[in-house]
Formats: sequence, C-alpha cells, structure tokens
Amino acid sequence: MDSKKLEEEIKDFRLREEAASTSQSRREDHGAEHDAELQITCFSEVLNDVTFHFQIIRFPKQIYVWIGCNSAKFGHMYAAAPTRPNNMVSATSILGGSSDNTGSGIARRLVLKTGLNIILACSIPKNNPMLEADAEKLLIQKLISLGYTKSRREGKSL
Amino acid sequence: MSLGATFLPPFPVSHKHLSLPIKGNKTEILISSYEDRFLVIATQIGTMGTILHARKEEGMPINPTFNVSVIFGKRDEQMLEACARQLIEHMSSSSGSSKPLVLSLGLKDHSTETLKAIVSAVIDNRLW
Repeated sequence: MDSKKLEEEIKDFRLREEAASTSQSRREDHGAEHDAELQITCFSEVLNDVTFHFQIIRFPKQIYVWIGCNSAKFGHMYAAAPTRPNNMVSATSILGGSSDNTGSGIARRLVLKTGLNIILACSIPKNNPMLEADAEKLLIQKLISLGYTKSRREGKSL
Repeated sequence: MSLGATFLPPFPVSHKHLSLPIKGNKTEILISSYEDRFLVIATQIGTMGTILHARKEEGMPINPTFNVSVIFGKRDEQMLEACARQLIEHMSSSSGSSKPLVLSLGLKDHSTETLKAIVSAVIDNRLW
C-alpha cells in the first residue's frame, strides 16, 4: 500500500518539476494551453503582407509544428531528428512527395536549434525562399521566447 | 511604415485537446481541423509515435472505399491501421467530409481496448 502511494507521489513530483522548469509567462493571440505533458501554442503574424499561421505542439520529447501561409492548408509533412554519433540531422518528407522540399530545410534547422525530434507540416508555396526564410524567422523567435530552444551551453551534445 | 493596426483574422485552425486515462495510462488527445485535412494525435509516451494517413477514395459516392497507410513509424501493427480506418469511415459517413486524416498514435499498448477507447474519445470530441 505504501509503496504504491510513494510511487504516485514521486510521479507527481516529477511532473510538477517538469512543468515548473518549462513554464514561463506566455501571451499569445489565441492562448496557450499548459499541461505537464503537452503545450499547444497557436499564433499568427503578418510579415511583408503575408499572413503566417503557426501551431506549435510541444511534447516531452518532440515538437510538432504547422506553418500556414495565407491559408489553413495542411501542406507537406516532414520528419527530422538528430542522428548519432556525430551531430548530424536527418530529415525526410513523409507526406506530400519529395519533389517539393520547401520546409525540409526548416525542419532540419529546428532540430539543430531544439535538439528534439521535429514533425513539421508546412504549406508554404514552393520556389519562394523569401517566404520560407520569413516563416522560419518568426518561428524561431517564438520558439526562443517559449524556451523550447537549447541554450548555447548545451549545444555540444545533440 | 504602415498606418493603423494590421488586422489579423481569427486563427484558421480549430483544435480540441483532452486528456483521459485509458487502462491506467494517461492519454493526451489532440484533434485539429485544417482546411484540407484533419489531424488527430493520441499519445501516451511523450512523442507522436506512429503516423498514419487515411483517405477516402475518389469517385465512389456510395459504399466508398478507404486507403490507410503508415507514413512514419511501425508498419506491422494492424490495430493502428484499424483505428485509422474506423475514424476515416466515421468521418466520411457522419459528415460526408472527404478530408483525409493524419492520425498519430504513440501508445504504450496496442490492445483492442485501448484503441476502442481512443476511437470513442475522438468521435465524442470530433470536429467534423
């Protein structure tokens, strides 16, 4: 009886610890939900007359990001992850075919910045590097403000 | 310099997030509706797990057929495909929607009970 209670208390303590270390004050256009396991952030920004929509879902060991460009289309999906032994990143397209790899570069760089597995869905039109760069800039700014990126100190190990 | 505030439309993607225990495992379910897809994520393990894609085949208004495939992750778990199949069929029959479904399942066990519980939780909180 005691050991089960102890186990549950330890689990609770761990969850609280995790929540405390990752929570910061956040003000979004559409509210962020806080949960020890899952954090959802949705926001939109206009840059150079283009409206970008972002949906960021933070799992404990993974981040899912959706980027919409003037629309709510899901777009193509990419998966990227750090690969041992050296700090390489592997990225692949998992939905949408590989002829258009707008977004795979973003996925790759997100892994470098966060150190986590990334699933990215993005509907940025192809052959438009400026849009890609703008979207990535806004996204990285938000990830830094949410505290999802690694600090420089930890940059050595991926 | 632009004059006046930029008008931002309301966020175009609606979503629902719920958390429930299934067979003792805390399960996070997220349902998201995009313009041309639905996304359903159910996780017990802290990651998105296996990702499946399910869609209704074109051109068959009555007795439609569906295509379900794993696009990332475990390819030998039939229960996951069955789960995707149930959801896409429900989506198609209850709302007539032809939007494909991206289903992400990160589960600790692939028993029938767990998957039935997930299907019913998603249907109860559906966005279609």
